Amino acid sequence: MQKLINYLVALGNPFAGFILHLGGVFNLFLEILSSIAYPLKKPALIIKEIYFSGVRSLVIIAISGWFVGMVLGLQGYNTLQRFGSVSMIGSLVALSLLRELGPVLTAILFASRAGSGITAEIGLMKATEQLDAMSVMAVSPIKRIVAPKFIGGIISVPILTCLFNTSGIFGGYFVSVLLLKLDNGIFWSQMSDSIALHEDIFNGIIKSFIFGIAVTLIAVYQGFIAKPTADGVSSATTRTVVSSALVVLALDFILTAWMF
Amino acid sequence: MQDYSVIVENASFGYSDDAPVLKNISLKIPKGITVAIMGGSGCGKTTLLKLISGQIKPSVGSVTVLNQEITRQSNKQILQLRKRMGMLFQFGALFTDMSVYENVAFCLTEHTNLSESMIKKIVAMKLNAVGLFGTEQLMPQQLSGGMSRRVALARSMALDPELMMYDEPFTGLDPISLNVSAMLIQKLNKALGQTSILVTHDIESSFKIVDYIYFMADGEIISEGSPIDVQNTDNPMVRQFIEGKVNGPYSFEYKTNLDYNTYLGIL
Repeated sequence: MQKLINYLVALGNPFAGFILHLGGVFNLFLEILSSIAYPLKKPALIIKEIYFSGVRSLVIIAISGWFVGMVLGLQGYNTLQRFGSVSMIGSLVALSLLRELGPVLTAILFASRAGSGITAEIGLMKATEQLDAMSVMAVSPIKRIVAPKFIGGIISVPILTCLFNTSGIFGGYFVSVLLLKLDNGIFWSQMSDSIALHEDIFNGIIKSFIFGIAVTLIAVYQGFIAKPTADGVSSATTRTVVSSALVVLALDFILTAWMF
Repeated sequence: MQDYSVIVENASFGYSDDAPVLKNISLKIPKGITVAIMGGSGCGKTTLLKLISGQIKPSVGSVTVLNQEITRQSNKQILQLRKRMGMLFQFGALFTDMSVYENVAFCLTEHTNLSESMIKKIVAMKLNAVGLFGTEQLMPQQLSGGMSRRVALARSMALDPELMMYDEPFTGLDPISLNVSAMLIQKLNKALGQTSILVTHDIESSFKIVDYIYFMADGEIISEGSPIDVQNTDNPMVRQFIEGKVNGPYSFEYKTNLDYNTYLGIL
């Protein structure tokens, strides 16, 4: 009997841990929302965060988008050629990017590039008592540190997604038009015919906005719960990247089912 | 009636129920004096300081700071109360992404409506008081350990707090920095008429500057009095600590059920 109880406890522990983390993230989200007025009064804090997490991610996002677009162009060309539909390649590249790949890959890349940085920064501030020092000086770290990072993240991710999409479309254009000699006019006209402003572009941006909230929230939460040691901070940054990737993919499924 | 800055009554605290860090602590610190909380590593000194600064709340008992019982206050009220307190952390805890100027000006920009030029003057005065005028543009990474501690002292003094807490202010300092720091604490205490609480195990320096000492061991206050009283106490634990003896009631060895010889296979 005891063995069965131990087995059930072992089975339930990770689930209980997951629920606790979910509660922790939600609590932090509410605290951030109640502190949102503070960074809005001090826009310099938000601009600094947009620079650190957004501007500094520009290169990796643009290059990744370009390569993803090129791969889409290449794969699309090979597949569509079999059905005599090469003219649809512009639509294929644009729709794949705008609806799915752009928001998802940008969010995952953002989590790896900026999210891990946010976690490490908050974790190290905790380890070096900077968060305690701030609290003792009567300034809430949620207001001063977390809320600006949160706003910076949710502004950056949709903008980076637009950049990823644009870069990807030009990557696809480069392969299909410049390398594989598809007609320039067909590429662009098919693309513009098949893309709906609301359904494809807006929905993609809404997705990226939601992913931005999720990734930034996970990053700041992991920073806050990181053990104040080198090993603790290292594990927290890993958890940020892994959890963000899984949450973004799961959210993408839910949002796709709801939107399209 | 005497006015007290800090009153702790029968306070206990533990991070878990089976491992209490503080056990039934009671102390009263009158306004304007300098008090040292002394004891060996892990005896609960820093936890007691966290209790007084409202970073943690006691599981039992009450803590009254600057006439406000913080055990009954909301986080928002505690934040308000902290504007009247200052705290120097063991390693300074300077904000590493801010310059020396921004660090010292932090409380002033957050809690006052002073003009930029006024803040600039106050920062210069505070830095001058700790002997670091001219370092405004340096980043914390460019400072030595002692300098970082002094900048942190200037930062914690920015709002002229009524209650100042120092967590191990003398640890890791060279003899000159140590004496300068001790002198500064004494000077600032007298100049501002503030109450100071030092958590330390530096006997020599603290005996020179404090008015009263609480001596802690294993989460309890085992002795208290003026530096002379503590120096002359018969308490064996305090005597061992002051004289730095290896053998005595305070065990240097970690308490374990394992037998060393059996563990090594030596009969």
